[in-house]
Amino acid sequence: MTSQTLRSGPAYWWRSYLAMLRWDLTSLRMVLPITVLVLSLAGGGFVLAVDLFFGQVPEEAALYVSTGVLVITLVTIGLVLAPQLIAQQKIEKTYDFLWSLPVPRTTAAFSWITTNLIIGLPAMTLALVVAVLRYDLPLHVTPMILPAVLLVVFTGTMIGYALAHAVAQPMVTMVISQVLIFVIIGFSPINFPADQLPGWLASAHEWLPFAPMADAIRAAITKGVVPNVARSYLMLGAWAVISVAVTAAVLGRRK
Amino acid sequence: MAEPTDWTLRVDQVVKVFNNKVRANDGLTLHVEPGEVYGLLGPNGAGKTTLVKQIIGLLKPDGGSISLGPHDLVADPDAARQLCSYLPQAQMPINSFRAREAIDITGMIRGGASALVKRRRDELIDALELGEWRDTFGVRLSGGVKRLVGFVMATVLPGRIVILDEPTNDVDPRRRRLLWDQVRHLGEEGVAVLLVTHNVIEAEKAVDRLAIIDEGRLLAEGTPSSMKSTDRGRLRLQVMMTPGADTPDLLPFVQQYTRVGNNLMTVIDETEAAHAIGWAQELVGLGLAEEYALGSTTLEDVYIRMTGDIEAPAVTGS
Repeated sequence: MTSQTLRSGPAYWWRSYLAMLRWDLTSLRMVLPITVLVLSLAGGGFVLAVDLFFGQVPEEAALYVSTGVLVITLVTIGLVLAPQLIAQQKIEKTYDFLWSLPVPRTTAAFSWITTNLIIGLPAMTLALVVAVLRYDLPLHVTPMILPAVLLVVFTGTMIGYALAHAVAQPMVTMVISQVLIFVIIGFSPINFPADQLPGWLASAHEWLPFAPMADAIRAAITKGVVPNVARSYLMLGAWAVISVAVTAAVLGRRK
Repeated sequence: MAEPTDWTLRVDQVVKVFNNKVRANDGLTLHVEPGEVYGLLGPNGAGKTTLVKQIIGLLKPDGGSISLGPHDLVADPDAARQLCSYLPQAQMPINSFRAREAIDITGMIRGGASALVKRRRDELIDALELGEWRDTFGVRLSGGVKRLVGFVMATVLPGRIVILDEPTNDVDPRRRRLLWDQVRHLGEEGVAVLLVTHNVIEAEKAVDRLAIIDEGRLLAEGTPSSMKSTDRGRLRLQVMMTPGADTPDLLPFVQQYTRVGNNLMTVIDETEAAHAIGWAQELVGLGLAEEYALGSTTLEDVYIRMTGDIEAPAVTGS
């Protein structure tokens, strides 16, 4: 009757991952459809709003907005919703129970990344369809869209994850995640070229993960817009490694 | 033939000091054997939850050792999580789960085969009379029913040790009994149960042995009856005071007293029983008290004397 022997190995990892994925999706069941809907409407709506606001959008600007918004739909959940959910768990004192579950820590992280993909992909697709219909964009979708989306979601989710676990105070986590979304939408070279930003902010973005996210996605669906995508992948990879390391250190280091 | 593994939980000289210099655990030692229901009693802030979090690998002790059978739980928190099942004091985060789903997924997380988990789930749902809520979403469950679902989640596929933190909070009296039956059943199956509570009266009936801790230290350990042995020759006189009546002058034979609301609990020497009854009758006669009862002392009397604890607004003395 009891679980008496210690489990290990790939089968244990896979079973735990599936169980955690079921746990995460069931936990979010009440908000999942509405989140996908809101995110899709926000993504598609943003594309249309730019057109309404400016009347005539130049092709380059339309290309930036239409591809940039995809990044926003992909990372909002990981960077903003995830830290808030984890902060909520800390406030409600359910955090300890969830971290006492007998699964490898990595399965919880991968389950969460998968959940983010499940929420982000439909919204991203819809935003792209709206953009194509509205602006008649010269898109050139390549298979690189797959690694680009996976890496963007992985990095975005892990940054949010690291933030949520590393900051002890849930309220502080919530404030930081709010500021992040503000910076991403308004002050990152995601929806517009970096040279439209003040010099110091453009320089800062050379080392932040947001511009590389946008470049990786843009390079995968356009031709000749992104000159050097290799650096973007390197930067994203570095940010992914840093956030994984921070999360592992926080979860591994018991107080 | 190989010796069977001894799956005793050994907590030895555990010290945990928090950043604010509070010594939450100050050299705690206790052993829980397989099949034993072991109560961990102590007032708020005694260090009970801190100890539990170290056993399940969420906190790391500053000193001492914790092992379960051959596994060092401090060095191997992964083993700790697999071998311990935990029902925390806070409610389970299952608002968007149907009761049976929450149980099934927890069983799956614990590595149980689907058929086994479903069979155990149905047995426990029947045993705790939860059938009418099996398909109800957590958000619609009352606190007590949610607590019981949490209990089933923790025990559907128990580890070597099941840690229950205040399992009967909000649970109705009838299902409390059913829950204690299941706790005993876990013991019969060879699972060690560590029961964390301040509910001394319930613990007295449910546990094989218990420890009373306060300020991170072990004050006493033993069976409920051995704990009460120091109270041999004493009786408990309970007087229900009339609402609004002040606590009367206590006669010298009252060795210890607690007043919570209108309930005045006193401990007296059994040779003074006749005097004490006369005194209580007099209080009733004067209209200061409504009724009284004389009985043997309980574990709660021992507990209160040891911890000097005031759980509710109360006045104590001895």
